[in-house]
Amino acid sequence: MRRLLLQSMMMVLLAILAVNVAMAQQPHVYINPGHGGYDSDDRNMVIYPFTQGDSAGSWESKSNLRKGLALKEILEKKGYKTTISRVANTTADDLALSTIVALCNQSGADVFYSIHSNATGTSSVANFPMVFYRGYTGSPQIANADVLAADLEPYLYANTNTVWTNNYQIWGDWSFRPEWGTQGYGVLRGNYAVANLSEGSFHDYIPEAYRLLNFYYCWMEGWNISLGADKYFNRLDKYGLGVVTGNVRDDRINRLQECAQPFVVYGDDNLMPIHNATVRLLDQNGNEVQRCETDTLRNGIYVFKYVAPGTYTVEVSEPTHFTQTASVTVNANEPTYQNFYLKRVRDTPPVVVDYSPVWHEGDPAVKCSTPITLAFNWDMDSATTCGAFRLEPHVEGSFKWEDSYYRLTFTPTDAFDVNTLYTLTLDKSAEHGGGTPMEDDFVMQFYTQPRNHLKELAVFPYEGAQVHYKAPTVELRVDSMLDTYNLFQRLRVLDSEGNELAWNKRSIKYNKKGDDYGYIRISLVKDLEVGKDYKLVLDVDIADTAGIHLPAARVINFSAVDAGADKPGMDVVETFDKDDYCLGWGCDYMHTLLQDSYTEGLFDKAMRLDYDYVEASEIFLRYAPDWDLEKESWEQPFHQGDKVGIHLWGDMAYSNVFLRFQRGYDASWVKVPLCKMDFHGWRYVELNLNDFAPDDDYRLKDIVFYRSDNKMGKTGSLKLDQLIRGKSSGVAEARLANMEVHHNGDYIVVSADTWVQGVELVDINGRTIKSAGGNCLNVADVECGIYLVRVHIGDRTATQKVKL
Amino acid sequence: MKKILTIVMMLAVAAALFPAAGQEVEVTSQRRLLEGVEGPAFYPVINPAGDRLLYCSGNGALKVHDFNDGVTLLVSEGPVAGHDACWGGDGKVYFVTQRIGEDHLVYRTGQSYDATTRKTTQLTAPLHGAVRAVPATHGGALRAPGRETIESSVNIGSAAWTEGNRVYVTVGDDERVFSPVDSWAGYLWASISPDGQRVAFFAAGKGIVIIDLRGQVLAMLGNYEMPCWYNNDYLVAQNAKDDGHQITSSQLLLLKADGTWQAELTRPSSMAMHPTCGGGKIVYTTIDGLLYEMKINIYD
Repeated sequence: MRRLLLQSMMMVLLAILAVNVAMAQQPHVYINPGHGGYDSDDRNMVIYPFTQGDSAGSWESKSNLRKGLALKEILEKKGYKTTISRVANTTADDLALSTIVALCNQSGADVFYSIHSNATGTSSVANFPMVFYRGYTGSPQIANADVLAADLEPYLYANTNTVWTNNYQIWGDWSFRPEWGTQGYGVLRGNYAVANLSEGSFHDYIPEAYRLLNFYYCWMEGWNISLGADKYFNRLDKYGLGVVTGNVRDDRINRLQECAQPFVVYGDDNLMPIHNATVRLLDQNGNEVQRCETDTLRNGIYVFKYVAPGTYTVEVSEPTHFTQTASVTVNANEPTYQNFYLKRVRDTPPVVVDYSPVWHEGDPAVKCSTPITLAFNWDMDSATTCGAFRLEPHVEGSFKWEDSYYRLTFTPTDAFDVNTLYTLTLDKSAEHGGGTPMEDDFVMQFYTQPRNHLKELAVFPYEGAQVHYKAPTVELRVDSMLDTYNLFQRLRVLDSEGNELAWNKRSIKYNKKGDDYGYIRISLVKDLEVGKDYKLVLDVDIADTAGIHLPAARVINFSAVDAGADKPGMDVVETFDKDDYCLGWGCDYMHTLLQDSYTEGLFDKAMRLDYDYVEASEIFLRYAPDWDLEKESWEQPFHQGDKVGIHLWGDMAYSNVFLRFQRGYDASWVKVPLCKMDFHGWRYVELNLNDFAPDDDYRLKDIVFYRSDNKMGKTGSLKLDQLIRGKSSGVAEARLANMEVHHNGDYIVVSADTWVQGVELVDINGRTIKSAGGNCLNVADVECGIYLVRVHIGDRTATQKVKL
Repeated sequence: MKKILTIVMMLAVAAALFPAAGQEVEVTSQRRLLEGVEGPAFYPVINPAGDRLLYCSGNGALKVHDFNDGVTLLVSEGPVAGHDACWGGDGKVYFVTQRIGEDHLVYRTGQSYDATTRKTTQLTAPLHGAVRAVPATHGGALRAPGRETIESSVNIGSAAWTEGNRVYVTVGDDERVFSPVDSWAGYLWASISPDGQRVAFFAAGKGIVIIDLRGQVLAMLGNYEMPCWYNNDYLVAQNAKDDGHQITSSQLLLLKADGTWQAELTRPSSMAMHPTCGGGKIVYTTIDGLLYEMKINIYD
């Protein structure tokens, strides 16, 4: 009996010893679910249908606690000792960081996990796991904290229930937050357990915020952290159960279709999570082992916990989708991920339920920019539907699906032709997403308007323009009101190396309601470089408010000049300074409004005229308004072969500018075209007075601005600075071989005593408008106005004015 | 017990509403310690006489500084030695080091250091789990939960420490265990008043609690951390705030032990923390490891 008693006592002692040894070897994990409560520092993400501050919504404090409690449950099942800093989500549980550290230290834990989720705190959106330890990256303050992190991160990152945007990251907090010095994260500071702070995912990635509302998704993060602990403590082989988890989504419906405020989504997060799907785990005999249901919080998550190793079938069913199954193999202490993409049950053939444009015989014609839209009763198969789309006459264009393949839009690459009857046939071969075709063809027609492109009225700089380098201004004028939304981004000025020059957005002027034409006017921030070449690029998608765009993109070459550069051999005749009281103005039409002032000029001061023509009329600047007064410099006569130049500042008012001379011998008036004000900024224009009669004196009397006959010249401003004169060398351009220029209907015909090699039509700015070999030039398509005809005979040229 | 707690809390509220008239504190001096001698220094612990200071240097080593001769000695470079060291009533330093053992379990060893002989003595074998140094009026103790306490001598005098949500008070051979207030997460930072009549400790979620040696709650001083007895009537504590990641402010407060009065010793932006009191001095560190000594006058 005594022996039996002794043996019993020894067995009890051995059992106690075994328990003590086991306890001594039991890893101790301190769990800190970050934050606590529903306060301002508890990271509330406002996501539909929850409002700001709603405790049922997305809170980092709440999901951290769920993860922490799950980790505690799992680790204890795995034989760990655990301590947790809180088990409720209240403000009182939100312990100070120093307190948490002291509690962990007092507990004697081997490792410490502080569980969080992350936020970019900016408009950029990302989702990836991060783990931190105290110290510099690669040099932890507490030995092995980097090993603990490295053992954890792959398990977090392996989670395919979410969508990661980047690989995982491991940081020492001193390296990650260098601006904090060695202050670091509060729960790692002074903590002498082997400590990590994990940011399992980004809760400001909206789909992740919805997942974090799911209890089981949080549980999975706890499971994955437990695997990190198992790896660290060499205990991966000490637990015999596994996990099956995944995400249930529709195979093609876009989750954003029902969102009033769309958010950024990546990868599979584009697809609609399926609510209330029943997910069953079946053994090899078809017996149900576990069952769960996806929630209604837009995440589609399912989890089967603590599953014995083996082969199973996961079955997912939901009334509006076809049931789907997948075979999975569960291994001990491993997660098995299995996502599902369910196909909807579509039980009727597809039909077009709505379309645009709707047009019937007798209706107003349709704008040529109108896209064709077809709406269907089911989400459609893209390949068969686009393949069934036939438009007569054929138009190149592109397809765009919206509303998760419920709506198809065809947009012509350019525009529909004008005055054309189009017929669209959608062949019945078009199928919905379930593979069923339409029962009948769908046919619609529409007739287009007579206008299909935006017409460019004017642009500056125009091709070949020489632009004064200072404060350059760009303007585009078109025949209808421009759509001004982000319009400035559709015009670009590039330097010769292709660098884009910045716009001065504060200078921008747009057309407004009631204007006679559409326009955008904008200046560059910096001056141009004199002598350099530039390009103005007009995008094809510059469009009016009806969506009618330019016929094509345009690249316009221009160069920078200094309009105020020295003009050798030229003498200043008039400075247009205010001190010169002999200058006056007048107009030949009573209702034209005109104001003059003196302003900063190209050289010193300049004369500025602001005018508002009422009808076609002219403004003339006349030296000596008191007709009795005369000024020597102006009154010095010009002769054949002299040059006269003037510096003008324009705003694309399109006035025609003339110089009016009085011929000496008979006091007759001679009006010589100088230029058209089709430019912005300063410009120097010069005229050779070769057409003056030899031996006659011509006195400059007026500078005349004549309103052009288009609506762009109604109002405007102009400035004048330095009128200069160059004396003839005495060798006038010879009249060649009795040359005569005839304007005969559509043609200019040059006759001469000798062979005419070519004819050029040059505008008053010296730009060649048209040219042709021989003696004939077709000018039928040239705008009416005053031009010069330049005739090439042998190695010489002659010019003559012509009015078309 | 609930009744007593209610009365104490009512008294605390009344004290907050009607602070003691005319009570004032004046900071008479404040100076940087070990400037130019030591880099960042943390977790200071001054001895009761106020002439020696333990601290943890920036590299984690435990050091002791003697105010009398200005000499600073290295106590231990063992991992985490500098984190929770304490002065025993016998003048020795009690501290714990740790090492990572098989399967990454953490083993901790209790040790003592005699600043006179400059000798370190290992008091415990490396043990898995918590091993903590506890100061006592006549010596020190190494506590390892679930195991026997290792004491420096037969009679270590009075000591107080916490485990979980219990505070342990030893007076001679008599060990008493109290749980006077609810605190799910646990108690911390227990200490006995200089006259040995009261115990201050921190209850997570509740704040600083003052009890007598029978475990009766005498006062609750507010949700502040790391209380240390300045004298029998006043304590100094840390008032830190954070955003869940980072400490955003931290200051020192002077608290009257009966809960009737408190005053700021530093501003919240001072980031002052880890106060320790001894010999009429207050020593603290800042978040970036600057050590300061402060002296005050209290006018009742």
